[in-house]
Amino acid sequence: MIRSLFFVLALCCPPLTAQDGTQLYGLYCGACHGADGNGATGGQFPPLAGSPWVAGDEERAIRIVLHGLHGPVDVKGRTYNLEMPPQGAMLPDDQIAAILTHVRASWGNASPAVTPDRVAAIRTAQQQRRTPWTAEELLRDFPLPLEKSALSQLISRSYEWSQPAMPDFATLQSLNTEEEHDGLLDAADAPRKDHFAMTWEGSFTAPADGSYEFLLDADDGAALHLDGKSVVEITGIGPADGSRSKIGRIDLKAGTIPFRAAYYEVAGQEVISAAWRMKGEKGWHWLSREHTGIRPELEPIPIAPENGRPVLYRNFITGTTPRAIGVGFPSGINLAYSADHLAPELLWTGEFLDGTGKWLERGTNPSPPAGENVVKCSSSPALPAAARFRGYELDAAGNPTFISTLGQQIIRDHFEATSSTLTRRLSLNSGSPVRVVISDAFAWELTDDQTGTLGPLELHIEGAATVSQGQPCTLELTPGTVTLTYRWK
Amino acid sequence: MKSAARLIAAALIASTATADYLREEIPLPPGEVMEIGSIALMPDDRVAVATRRGDIWIVDGARGDDLSQVRWKKFARNLHEPLGMFWQDGSLWVTQRPEVTRITDTDADGLADRFETICAEWQIQGDYHEYAFGSTPDKQGNIWVVLCLTGSFTSECPWRGWCVRVTPKGEMIPTCPGIRSPGGIGFNPAGDCFYTDNQGVWNGSSSLKWLKPGSFQGNPTGNRWHELAGLPKPPEPADKSRIVTERERFPELMPPAVIFPHGKVGQSPTAVIADESGGRFGPFTGQVLVGEQTHSQVQRVHLEKINGLYQGAVFHFLDGFQAGIVPMRLTADGQLFVGGTNRGWASRGSKPFTFERVRWKGTTPFEILTMSATRNGFDLSFTAPVDPATAADPASYSMDAWTYIYQADYGSPEVDQTKPVIRKASVSADGRRVSLEIDGLVRGHVHHLAAPGVKSSTGSPLVHAEAWYTLNEIPR
Repeated sequence: MIRSLFFVLALCCPPLTAQDGTQLYGLYCGACHGADGNGATGGQFPPLAGSPWVAGDEERAIRIVLHGLHGPVDVKGRTYNLEMPPQGAMLPDDQIAAILTHVRASWGNASPAVTPDRVAAIRTAQQQRRTPWTAEELLRDFPLPLEKSALSQLISRSYEWSQPAMPDFATLQSLNTEEEHDGLLDAADAPRKDHFAMTWEGSFTAPADGSYEFLLDADDGAALHLDGKSVVEITGIGPADGSRSKIGRIDLKAGTIPFRAAYYEVAGQEVISAAWRMKGEKGWHWLSREHTGIRPELEPIPIAPENGRPVLYRNFITGTTPRAIGVGFPSGINLAYSADHLAPELLWTGEFLDGTGKWLERGTNPSPPAGENVVKCSSSPALPAAARFRGYELDAAGNPTFISTLGQQIIRDHFEATSSTLTRRLSLNSGSPVRVVISDAFAWELTDDQTGTLGPLELHIEGAATVSQGQPCTLELTPGTVTLTYRWK
Repeated sequence: MKSAARLIAAALIASTATADYLREEIPLPPGEVMEIGSIALMPDDRVAVATRRGDIWIVDGARGDDLSQVRWKKFARNLHEPLGMFWQDGSLWVTQRPEVTRITDTDADGLADRFETICAEWQIQGDYHEYAFGSTPDKQGNIWVVLCLTGSFTSECPWRGWCVRVTPKGEMIPTCPGIRSPGGIGFNPAGDCFYTDNQGVWNGSSSLKWLKPGSFQGNPTGNRWHELAGLPKPPEPADKSRIVTERERFPELMPPAVIFPHGKVGQSPTAVIADESGGRFGPFTGQVLVGEQTHSQVQRVHLEKINGLYQGAVFHFLDGFQAGIVPMRLTADGQLFVGGTNRGWASRGSKPFTFERVRWKGTTPFEILTMSATRNGFDLSFTAPVDPATAADPASYSMDAWTYIYQADYGSPEVDQTKPVIRKASVSADGRRVSLEIDGLVRGHVHHLAAPGVKSSTGSPLVHAEAWYTLNEIPR
């Protein structure tokens, strides 16, 4: 009887207090990081298999488990921007130790076990910590173990140079020459901080025949050459934060390939960042000490008119208020209407919007107008404070009319566009005049009877309103309709 | 040729069956990203879904026998992350992030053309956490909306961290403070509103909570907005306490009706729906079903009201869905529709998003139907008669119990563990009920029952032999 009871209990109540790391990992971690450690759904979440973040000093991983991780993090050459929730208030030291011991010894990982005592010590040391860690903070304390560079026989040379363009190195005298035994490009190896240029020459070992991609980022300019061919280049001046990074492609045969990098720095930060991968690999292999330039490799998701009808888009749009309603007309005229301020605050031409900011992962990236000639007409309430947004209607062609009420008064704000103009019809149903802000950024400067300039726009106004030409440009809307025609100059 | 293509399409539709329920994937419009956040049942057997990207689609044929025949039509585009939708009086009523909107196709061309803002009285700032989950209408026609905090830890603008009601006229009634991060909202058959809140600060584990108007749901982060509506100041509970302790100080503190122990019963509960199918979805009519995003499951909840408070048990029910479940709807004829997505929050299953249907096959799974608290234990009822020998043997059962630290930290370990002792198991004459006499019940604790030794009268084990009962109150 005792034996059968024990058997029953063992079946139904797995003894989690025994701290089975495999089981605890499956329970608390596997949904995101994958049962196989490769990240859920084919790597949409950060892998732990082969991840340097869980290797080496265990404090790095213990801190992440205890307090969580916030913001972008590069894992195996791919950037993730999710949120790792803190587990420290839920999981006791022995369970965290068991989970991390499992992670560090599974899927090809081979780092030593983690003890509950070590977890307890770090918990105590970090007891004032209230917010999740950022990758930057952790890397400051616990740099990742470096992968061996594919570069060898690397020689760097530094030169004096102050122009915002790549020098002709044949005409310059080298200040300094060094052997870089770690095989890594590093602008900090130069003897000066500003106004210099560098080259590195050596060999790149290609592991197999195939198509290779090279990533390059620099502050300020840089270029990579393989086998004597230019593969990728960053020109001009600017930061190395990924905003200017580029990827070049070249087919290589397995073996040792002549490699050359060139770099110049005018002023400010000095950074060169380079990496490679074979076509089809998700992650990058670094060739530099600095690791910038990986951008989320997002194909744009163009949000565009369909079937000849305008497209509407409700989400956060950079440059206007949170209650934003974008309208993209098939002719390439676009606006962002603020349902907070009851006004078309942004006008622009060309592409409407790109969905990658809000429609991927948790939607934390900005979503600015995707086109050109962006004009911010106003950034304050356009109607009296008592006015309320009531929604919008689409006409047969799909053109929107935004509707607001002010007591019993109804203000309708209709938009349609041609290839060069945006036509806006403001109407009021009844009652005393309503003051409408047309622009708080620009004055309306008349060039003829009804036409004037509004900053970079031309604005023609006709109908039931008295217009105040100063800044802000306002009109007194009386019952009836006033037509405003905006045109890019 | 056409029929061959159809055959192939039908073969590609994955369907799996447990013994008693058939789960089928509904074919989605090709090439579309269908991260489903809302489902609405419509007239003429149509179903509307809204995606997290904001498109509303209407599907014909999703309630039919041959799912290869479904036809999709896009009704509206690019709304702001709708999480709550229903059909009423010729319109879809949608809770989207900034507002409740009534959406109508006034010229019957199949495209929405009127978008009336019914209520936009709560604020948003642009943070990705600012989710708004909206209910179906209650008996007065009000839509209940739970508003996630600005982030995990703050409430930066009015009514973040509150439940509000939106009347048919569009007035907003602040209803309950204390919300953290909701995953869904709905009603039990009695018409009381419940929502799910996720493990995190002030939530030791995820749970199903009763939104009794005026109650405090436990997270003080958004408390200060009470001043805007002249409401009483909500409680400021002590950190690192226990819910039962703080309830003594603050009678308005609503304990979770049913706690879903983290990891064991999922990690992210979502949709709340009632089974009002009158038995057409199996033997669980009158119970509440709760979606689960991380584990891609559906849990089953038996609620009861003891000493004026809801409490009850959660059981595992359905699993194997292809992505993490967010919305659910159950038709009167017993078809369960679920929508799944793993964007931003990973989930079990093989797909980034899914739309699935579950139907009961007509055979009765052997399950614990209900678990009810008594003065000295629990009464169990079963979906089929039990084998009196195993069911009357206390050794067929075991129980352990625990609670959570009520704290400003993120989550909590299971603490204050006890081991209640099952003294006696009495089987009713019809074999449908078992009364357990138990020593050591603890008010406020989750009581985890395991009954792996219980067999049906035909010798089958329980399909799910575990239940987790949150004992807020012991019957007097």
